[in-house]
Amino acid sequence: MMHPSHRVGIEIDADEITETEEEDDDDGEEEVVKQPVTSRKQQHTHKPPTASKDEEDSSEEDAKFKHRNNRRRPRVQNGIRKNNTDHEDDESEEENKETAKNSRTKTKKNHEVEESDDDSELGENRKRTKKPVHNNNRNNRANTNKKLKDEQNKKQKQANNKGNKKGKMSNGKDKKKKKGKPSSSSSDSSDSDDSLSEDELAKVLEEVEEKKKLIAILRTKAWRMKRKLVTLKESQAFIEKFEGALGKGKGRKFYAYKVMMMKKWIKFKRDFENFKTSCIPWEMKIKEIESHFGSSVASYFIFLRWLYGMNLVLFSLTFGLVVIPEVLMGLQYGSIPRKTVPRKEQPTAMDFSVLWEFGGYMKYSALFYGYYNNERMIGVFKYRLPLAYFMVGVGSFGYSLMVVIRTMTRNARESGVDGDDGDFNFSWKMFTSWDYLIGNPETADNKFASITTSFKESIVDEEENQKDENVHLRRFLIVSANFLIFCCLAGSGYLIFYVVKKSQKYSALETLSWYQKNEIDIVMALLGMFVPPLFETIATLENYHPRIALKWQLWRMFALFLGNLYTFLLALIDQVNTQLAEEESIKNKTLAVINSFNSTNSTSEGIPAIDPADFPRGPCWETGVGLEFTKLTISDILVTYGSILVGDFLNALFVRFFNYCWCWDLEYGFPSYTEFDISGNVLGLIFNQGMIWMGTFYSPGLIGINILRLLTSMYFQCWAVMCCNVPQSRVFKASGSNNFYMSLLLLILFLSLLPVVYTIMTFTPSFDCGPFSGKTKMFDVIMETIQYDFPAFIGKLFGYASNPGLILPGILLMVLAIYYLNATSKTYEAANLELKKKMQMLRDEQKNRRNNKNTVNPMLQDLEDLLPNNANVTKSELDKVVIEKQPAITNGVTKANGKYGKEMTLAPPPLKMVVTKPPNPRQASHLPGKQRSGTPGQGPRRPPPGQPKR
Amino acid sequence: PFAPLSTIQDKLSRLALFFSREDFQRIGELAVNPLGDRIINAFFPDDKQSLDFRSFIRILACFRPTVKDKYADPNAAEPINSRSNKLRFAFQLYDQDRDGIISRGELIQVLRMMLEAQVTEDQLESITDRTIQEADLDGDGAISFEEFRKSLENINLEHKMSIRFLQ
Repeated sequence: MMHPSHRVGIEIDADEITETEEEDDDDGEEEVVKQPVTSRKQQHTHKPPTASKDEEDSSEEDAKFKHRNNRRRPRVQNGIRKNNTDHEDDESEEENKETAKNSRTKTKKNHEVEESDDDSELGENRKRTKKPVHNNNRNNRANTNKKLKDEQNKKQKQANNKGNKKGKMSNGKDKKKKKGKPSSSSSDSSDSDDSLSEDELAKVLEEVEEKKKLIAILRTKAWRMKRKLVTLKESQAFIEKFEGALGKGKGRKFYAYKVMMMKKWIKFKRDFENFKTSCIPWEMKIKEIESHFGSSVASYFIFLRWLYGMNLVLFSLTFGLVVIPEVLMGLQYGSIPRKTVPRKEQPTAMDFSVLWEFGGYMKYSALFYGYYNNERMIGVFKYRLPLAYFMVGVGSFGYSLMVVIRTMTRNARESGVDGDDGDFNFSWKMFTSWDYLIGNPETADNKFASITTSFKESIVDEEENQKDENVHLRRFLIVSANFLIFCCLAGSGYLIFYVVKKSQKYSALETLSWYQKNEIDIVMALLGMFVPPLFETIATLENYHPRIALKWQLWRMFALFLGNLYTFLLALIDQVNTQLAEEESIKNKTLAVINSFNSTNSTSEGIPAIDPADFPRGPCWETGVGLEFTKLTISDILVTYGSILVGDFLNALFVRFFNYCWCWDLEYGFPSYTEFDISGNVLGLIFNQGMIWMGTFYSPGLIGINILRLLTSMYFQCWAVMCCNVPQSRVFKASGSNNFYMSLLLLILFLSLLPVVYTIMTFTPSFDCGPFSGKTKMFDVIMETIQYDFPAFIGKLFGYASNPGLILPGILLMVLAIYYLNATSKTYEAANLELKKKMQMLRDEQKNRRNNKNTVNPMLQDLEDLLPNNANVTKSELDKVVIEKQPAITNGVTKANGKYGKEMTLAPPPLKMVVTKPPNPRQASHLPGKQRSGTPGQGPRRPPPGQPKR
Repeated sequence: PFAPLSTIQDKLSRLALFFSREDFQRIGELAVNPLGDRIINAFFPDDKQSLDFRSFIRILACFRPTVKDKYADPNAAEPINSRSNKLRFAFQLYDQDRDGIISRGELIQVLRMMLEAQVTEDQLESITDRTIQEADLDGDGAISFEEFRKSLENINLEHKMSIRFLQ
């Protein structure tokens, strides 16, 4: 967003600095406002260059205040002044500004004359009294505040009286005083947004005129077309912007109005931004955790929050477009067989144990696929529910993919700015390692420790880089650790495979013991419990940085958990296949029943003789799949919460209270408090999300359960972390938006997309339940819609488009595009690397030259010595000039340059001096041309030593 | 990373128009920060004992997020929240005697504040030497602002030294 007033202020200010006063104003009051250029320059030299800008900015900020309180302001200020004991010159400047402004407005508003006049005088007086008060203050610092205040008030009163006496002084005298004070600020021009002072106006006017002229003669200029166009555009924009400010009457009013609206708009935007920030849920909670546990733990909670947001969108899609329309507009419960609990199950349908397993009434509700009717349109709105069901299912996947990938690219862009640069390893550690968000002493202690270790580590790293034998050992350790972990993974994979095979054998048997029934679950639980710690132990061999170690740990656990997923899916597909076979037989039976029913009851139409509860029905494999996922999610929630309660909370209680009566120190000894397990929790979340993605299509209610889970999990885990975990021993930094989690999530998303798409594309939907019953494939619903609801030619178009002859080239084209994009990105990467290398080389070269100047060019030095004596004098003079050119370079460097003066002139000044500095004003800079011509402008200059023989 | 200053904002909203050093020291994030005192000092130039809103805002302006302005006028004065001004603020935290360079002694001082007590002098010195060796381009054994700027060139300072609510 542009800030026109800002622009005005700065531009004019710049103008005033560089140019001298040219036009005299007829208005005496305005003279007071104007700044003496010389004084300003002084100020610039003795103040750091930021200070004046500082004032501009703040005055800018306050401009609206002033604007609003123009009338009331003086009184208020008086009040403040009485209270304030110490003010710096700064303040008085502000006062001046105030008065100046008031006097300026006076010219516009006649009825204000008296008041503003008074104001300006008052301000003047205040300023005059400033100095003594200040001194007094300095002297009497030991005095109590009250005394000081009294004294000051007295002074103030006296001063005011004096001022009133002298109130009738001439403007000219005032003006002189103003000019005499070097401390007056340079910022008065910037606060004049809608009331520009006359000279500023004049300047802007002049500039506008200039631009207009430029536009007029642009055609005749001998420039390139591109430059002409750019100049034209810029000038036009400028004129458009500032002409309004200069116009009298209507134009001016309009401009003022515009500026005001702009300000309001900016303010509104800022408020809105604040509002948005305060709307970010759990921000404070996460910040608190971050300050206690470091950014790595906070990254988990940020990820959790992100997932919650995404699930919220999926939830609103599913519930808004599928579940609620079905509940509101669909047939009531009990109207048709698929919406009724079968007679057999009815006695137990309300039992808690049954409901807990999502049986009974839960199973025959809108939470599951089977409840939905296959009627094409429902309700008065002719809502196409089956189509909506299908589209929402596909759309959730599409949305998830899009969101995950978009977040990943955004994160990549953010993190890509911070390049890894080994050159400044220590400097970065020195200047940027403190985490400014830490607010807790304990965490701060940890941070101290971690900074220390990281420094030590990098010293060790540097030493190791130079040694060779350690590298081999390290490599050996890494390889062996990876080998061990691979063995573990292979072993557990085989174990899972073996158990699954055995369970398939068991299924043939009639009677099963409890162990045989639950063998898979037990094995999986044991693996999940014991293998991750084993991985962690092995990973200590590798001795990676904890951030990298976390990544490896995540990948390894991911591989382990994939086994879990594999067994689950395998079992599920088995179940679906048996149910499909079963369905065939039932379908025939049902059809027979319907036929007989139709033939017998053809006379009494409309009233079914058979209750829907008694109707024979198929197993409905879709609901079965949905049920499995729901049960899995519930058990996952219970296990997670249970482990937090037992593993963290009870452990913490035990350690805390049994420490009083135990033989060793529990807090620092064996059980200790637990650390927050980042890898386990992140993977738990990711796999849970995978379950949701897979299950939502067959159980729309699942996403609602997940929302509840994430919500409770947020509060519960926040509490658990703060209550029973201790910060990690090695606090390490992790970015809040971790792309690594995202890439895992993307992988899981893809993996969960596969089985769903597979079932949709291959299996026949059940004949008597769900929105697609009666169709051969689920996606037929699309064909049906195209056929019935769209004009014929779209159907034809679709037919052509689905022709393999078109799809194959399409895929080919996409592959080609990917290939092309990949190739270009590789090229860019290579170019980037090349540039980096070049920069590195340049730097090294520079460094070498600086460090080994004496050894690099002895030949040149010999030549130097041969030169006559006076040439050397010139050289040192020249050095001074070089230094003058770059004020950023400081005393120490000057000294150094003095020491190495000779070499400085020989080695050409490094590139940065030439490139980064904007050209200085002429008189300050050193002009070689001027010198060569031998102008005796600035002292006796001799030819530079570059051409000494001239 | 200066978000804890939001606490100060809370204070402002209660119309406490003057701050003292104690007000700043009460912010937990500044209290535990090894450079906390220096940050506070940066808000109190010239040994002033209190800070009014205006001066406070002036210093805080340095932490406004930078916005890419394509109409930016190359001749215009540098905005206060520019990268180099942010850097200068950071630089002044390290350059305590205001002589324009971070000397070896100043570096050791900072390190002593940032590291644990059990680090030996030898280690401190070797760390300092390495830091200077990395950043020092002209071989004078100290880090000038220019060198400081160079060494932090690849760090996303605009993001790190910005307070979001000041947008």
